[in-house]
Amino acid sequence: MSNLPPKLQEIVDDFASMTREEKVETLVAYSESLPPLPDHLKAARDKMDPVPECMTPVFLHGEKQADGGVMFYFDIPPQSPTVRGLASILASGLNGSHPEEVLSVPADFFLPMNLQEAISQQRINGFIGVLAHMKQTAVKLLEKGS
Amino acid sequence: MPYVHPEYLVETEWVAQHLNDPSIRIIESDEDPLLYAVGHIPGAAQVDWFSTLQHPLRRDFLTREKFEEVTSNLGIANDTTVVFYGDKSNWFACYALWLFQYYGHQNARIMNGGRLKWEKENRPLVKDVPSFEKATYRANEADKKIRAFRDEVLKQSTSRKPLVDVRSPKEYSGELISMPNYPQEGATRGGHIPGAVSIPWAQAVNEADSTFKSPEELRALYEGKGIKPDEEVIAYCRIGERSSLTWFVLKYLLGYPKVKNYDGSWTEWGNLVDAPIEK
Repeated sequence: MSNLPPKLQEIVDDFASMTREEKVETLVAYSESLPPLPDHLKAARDKMDPVPECMTPVFLHGEKQADGGVMFYFDIPPQSPTVRGLASILASGLNGSHPEEVLSVPADFFLPMNLQEAISQQRINGFIGVLAHMKQTAVKLLEKGS
Repeated sequence: MPYVHPEYLVETEWVAQHLNDPSIRIIESDEDPLLYAVGHIPGAAQVDWFSTLQHPLRRDFLTREKFEEVTSNLGIANDTTVVFYGDKSNWFACYALWLFQYYGHQNARIMNGGRLKWEKENRPLVKDVPSFEKATYRANEADKKIRAFRDEVLKQSTSRKPLVDVRSPKEYSGELISMPNYPQEGATRGGHIPGAVSIPWAQAVNEADSTFKSPEELRALYEGKGIKPDEEVIAYCRIGERSSLTWFVLKYLLGYPKVKNYDGSWTEWGNLVDAPIEK
């Protein structure tokens, strides 16, 4: 298996050992604990294009810190707890990682979590979308940094 | 002018007054199934359009036997009144109602405004998951009169009978075929079924609280686009959830006698070899 950043690996392992009910509860807890956008990003949020119907509007911003690690900030409506939960897991697992580490996360890293027991397979694909978004941000930060 | 079949619609206040009524089962059916775990109407059960209501292998609904098992486990008997509500203006609530009626459960209603209106009115949401005493449910043979399959959709198209495309204008025009984050719902071709008129589902609901528009507004909307009660109408979208809402509006709020939902929808048509497409 690949080497995931340790925090993300820990979350994956935790989920792998949970019952279906625990998975649902934990996803809800992650969704509820996604921090609100910091003030300095709210203006950028308001400038976002409206999102066509059905898609969950995901606002994502990444900032490089002094030590080279990336902080990801999300704004996702509470009406979409699944995508919020998945984004919150990724933020918890990857915040502070270097852009290269974010880019090395395999797109199927979540398979051992067995989330399909808790939310349907379709919903889990949200992970792929959010992670792809984060990787694009990491690429931009790398280009800027070099 | 009232809705033609107002008995299929209940208001949030009515639901609030029937939370402990044993003859009623309230069911949440969402696009995002985690919403139920975040908080639901006290005493409400959950069905998920995918994990509860689909066949585990084929692209189809759960079997009649499985449906009987699901309803029985939710404590639903043949005489129970089932009230559906959900997120996204009741898309999947309408989908669930349509499917319940497919297996013969006529006694089903939609809570006008769904989750959004309930939340906006600051009504209670709880996390407790209720348990129900098992009932004995007997389903009917599937009612094909409310579900369209591709061959009849093709006939409807070639004979230029009413087809309603309820997707967003960009999906109708073919500019969009699949959505980011929804790869499973994609199609290899964009456009619409020849002859279909575009009446996006959202035009049937009030944006502020997700309630249905007035009978006058709805009649003007559909009749204005040539969709009249005297012919059989088929509605479709991408997977049949948004068109369930349109099906509900035409069938019960406007009382069109012959309306079918084509749940194969664009994810079938837009992938079907040799199917005619208009852009």
